[in-house]
Amino acid sequence: MLTPEEKQRYERQIMIPGIGEAGQEKLKKARVIIAGSGGLGSPISLYLAAAGLGTLRIIDNDKVELSNLNRQILHWDKDVGKFKTDSADKKLRQLNRNVSVETINITINEDNVSELVAGFDIIVDAMDNLPTRFLLNKSAVEHKIPCIHGAVSGFEGRAMTVIPGKSACLRCLYHTIPPISKFPVLGATPGVIGCIQATEVIKYITGIGLLLTNRLLMYDGLNMKFTELQFARFKDCECCGNIILEDKT
Amino acid sequence: MSAEVKVASYLMQYTGGKEIIKVEGKSVRECLQDLIKQFPDMEKILFDDNNILRAFFNIFITGGDVAFAEKLDVPVKDGDILTLLYIIGGG
Repeated sequence: MLTPEEKQRYERQIMIPGIGEAGQEKLKKARVIIAGSGGLGSPISLYLAAAGLGTLRIIDNDKVELSNLNRQILHWDKDVGKFKTDSADKKLRQLNRNVSVETINITINEDNVSELVAGFDIIVDAMDNLPTRFLLNKSAVEHKIPCIHGAVSGFEGRAMTVIPGKSACLRCLYHTIPPISKFPVLGATPGVIGCIQATEVIKYITGIGLLLTNRLLMYDGLNMKFTELQFARFKDCECCGNIILEDKT
Repeated sequence: MSAEVKVASYLMQYTGGKEIIKVEGKSVRECLQDLIKQFPDMEKILFDDNNILRAFFNIFITGGDVAFAEKLDVPVKDGDILTLLYIIGGG
């Protein structure tokens, strides 16, 4: 049940057809993994906390660096040198005390990923490197947990939603693993993509709208264009190829 | 076979501002060779010094096939569209 204070706080989104009080209660009960508290993780966690998502588990093992501050808007000047999780925890609690914020200082790896995501409703991939993204994708498929992918470089961004058993996964899209390299980025780019990822989370939890499944949304800020690449599950996908599809989404 | 290569905005600086380029070829490899013939600057973007397609690129072909470094001999049909997708992973 929503409290009178919650009804007032979320009034404007409760007004949205399809959300209502029932949808807001679903958001309140939702448990979300946010993997990464950087450029993407900042807007994702801010908007999900503001929207009243019940539990946010934020995983990151980095400390705030000065060069992060052009885009990682959850972290400020005074946070340089602190763990991003500590900085995130403080800000999000101030934003919305109704949200349960769990922070974990750890680097996601093959040994711990299953334990970190088990029991959660949805994973948001806000990582800064492809190997960990693929690891999250694999774990999402194994545990049948939806995963919202987002990535940025320069003025460009990408987003897609993976619903295991129903839609293509990240490995159906990307078949190769390029070497890790330092990437350029305009601060507003992860702002755009992070907001799209947060929107997908809210749509999935409330069960409304058309998810970004089987299509990659590509944002080009330089020419201010959004385009889509439609693609299907890859039958020989090393990650989800052995899963029987429930139906098309 | 006559096909089209579609490039993302970032790559248009190497294709004279064109997003869609008509190419000839029976396989993805041949189509990329024709693309490079028309726009030589694309060679270093697409291929490394050993003439291997860089791991950043996955090529989506109308109908659902995907080509990448080890799979450039995927056949191409008349009218196919080859989307050159490069991977980004930053966050």
